[in-house]
Amino acid sequence: MSYDVAIVGMGAAGLQAAISSSRKKARTVVLGRPEDSALYGAEVENYFGVPRTSGKELLRTGMEQAESFGAELRQEDVIEMSKSEGGFKLLSDMGTEIEAKALIVASGIMRKKLNIPGEKELFGKGVSYCASCDCNFYKGKPVAVIGAGSEAAVSAELMTHYASKVYWVAAELDASEGLREKALKAGAELVSSPPKEIGGDDKVSRLTLEDGSELEVNGVFIELGARSTTDMAMDLGVMPTPEGEIKVDKDFSAGVEGVYACGDITGKPWQVAKAAGEGGVAGERAAKYARGL
Amino acid sequence: MSGNIVTLTDNNFDSFIEENPLVLVDCWAPWCKPCHMLAPILEELADELVGKAAIGKLNVDENPGISYRFNISAIPTMLVFKNGVMQEPLVGVRPKEDIKKYLQSKM
Repeated sequence: MSYDVAIVGMGAAGLQAAISSSRKKARTVVLGRPEDSALYGAEVENYFGVPRTSGKELLRTGMEQAESFGAELRQEDVIEMSKSEGGFKLLSDMGTEIEAKALIVASGIMRKKLNIPGEKELFGKGVSYCASCDCNFYKGKPVAVIGAGSEAAVSAELMTHYASKVYWVAAELDASEGLREKALKAGAELVSSPPKEIGGDDKVSRLTLEDGSELEVNGVFIELGARSTTDMAMDLGVMPTPEGEIKVDKDFSAGVEGVYACGDITGKPWQVAKAAGEGGVAGERAAKYARGL
Repeated sequence: MSGNIVTLTDNNFDSFIEENPLVLVDCWAPWCKPCHMLAPILEELADELVGKAAIGKLNVDENPGISYRFNISAIPTMLVFKNGVMQEPLVGVRPKEDIKKYLQSKM
């Protein structure tokens, strides 16, 4: 499917970008899940012109507005981004392929840490946040991959090619069926009790679960949420900061032609007003770029 | 790459640690994206800290000996040595100022 503007992220920044872009007559698609937005669970009382309301309600209204101007909303996670002849190509966890002339990254900041005992102490000593970086160090060793979303599914499948045993620890799976099946077929064993503590002296040797059971593992990969968008953006030549933010110019261009970023991912303050303001500008600029105006 | 960064291997690693009073070794691999985020930061630091700290890069894929010796299980990992003695390593991508402060605290 081909569009002028593809937006990754269905929060305040992404939806406002979609409203602005579609009002500029650009064929616009938004990919993401509103429940992954930081706004989803928030109460909002500091947004101009809107009395105290829930983030959920703002998102619902914003989605209706975006659709009313012609934007297409797809509640799917993007798992791959690449450059193509006409601009950019995206692949979603549902297998949808999207082509677009301009791309807006509005995916917010993902929570990366679990905050369980042992996680901080054993980071770099068996605890990893990047399976694709560290897979090679776990050849023939048992590991656990923690996370319920697409990033964990992809990592669990990857680790089956290296580790002697892969436990996929996920209380409530929300990875798409395709990715889930791929990981399980490759040999990952699903464990449904939540993780409680990572143990070991100077190296990881076990993962204790809430139900009291213990997994004997040498590696624990923490892969929460959807695949990190900053990670994928690097495939397009966008270089994030060590804090995982994407630096933008006054047009919200991310430093690569046709790629824009807005919202929490460009840095603090993480507020609806900033996200919506940036989304408005980014949507307009991306639409103009895509339409050659 | 900055002329002030030395490419290290299993063969020249020990002499580099011995010859320089303060050393930072970036253990990296080509497939590791965060490693690429760290690279330009270390290039700047290598230029800024000339004469104060020596910075080297070690490809863990091509030099398994050193990775095994120092028990490296995550990349990027920055090994730090003061007068040949290993200090607490820095794991993961860190902001430039954090790395600089850490090295300065060892000077």
